[in-house]
Amino acid sequence: MADVRSEVLGIVSMVIEKEIKDIPLDAHLIQEVGADSMMALEILAALEKKYRVIIPEDKLKEMTTVNKIIGMVESARKKK
Amino acid sequence: MSAQKLPLEIEDIKKIIPQRFPFLMIDRVIEASPEKVVAIKNVSVNEYFFAGHFPDLKVMPGVLMIETMAQAGIVLYKQKFQNDNLLYLVSVKSRFFNPVTPGDQLRIEVTPMKMMSKMGIFNAEIKVGEKKIAEAEIAFGSQDAKNL
Repeated sequence: MADVRSEVLGIVSMVIEKEIKDIPLDAHLIQEVGADSMMALEILAALEKKYRVIIPEDKLKEMTTVNKIIGMVESARKKK
Repeated sequence: MSAQKLPLEIEDIKKIIPQRFPFLMIDRVIEASPEKVVAIKNVSVNEYFFAGHFPDLKVMPGVLMIETMAQAGIVLYKQKFQNDNLLYLVSVKSRFFNPVTPGDQLRIEVTPMKMMSKMGIFNAEIKVGEKKIAEAEIAFGSQDAKNL
């Protein structure tokens, strides 16, 4: 699943305008990396478009780290 | 909003969006569902902004086209969520292709990318006839969206 990881990192990096090397996979995106909830929404919309999945609204709160986002994408893809 | 009668005329629109003169930027809504809203704005030479933009060349300001698309976006949001949340603009990625001048009828089409109760992102496009005028990706949030 290395490709999902690099794709998710690419999206996160583009939305929050930070370089991939500055985004640790387990860092809290809002508290540690400097994202905000609107950026989380943009990330979510980009993921839905890229992977053609639907991620429900209540999952937004769980999108706190890149690793958690990767897990969500993978489980959403399995449900398809 | 099931079983609403289309088109939505100005008094119906005023029940949905809070903006008023001189900032009510849509005149009519001809299509409305949670998947798509199509609105109309007729641009008259009497628009207040033409007095200064510009005295000798009347073109509609691009920022007001963004406002027009954003107001159509409020109608789109309210198709899914019937609440009184005041919505704030958060980000806009836009591109303008052709100028708008007095006499043009704008057709504003908005479709959701992701519409949630406290925030959302949608795509918007303005056309005059078949001519593309502007497109944008607009994100908005209610005041408590930051606290998620």
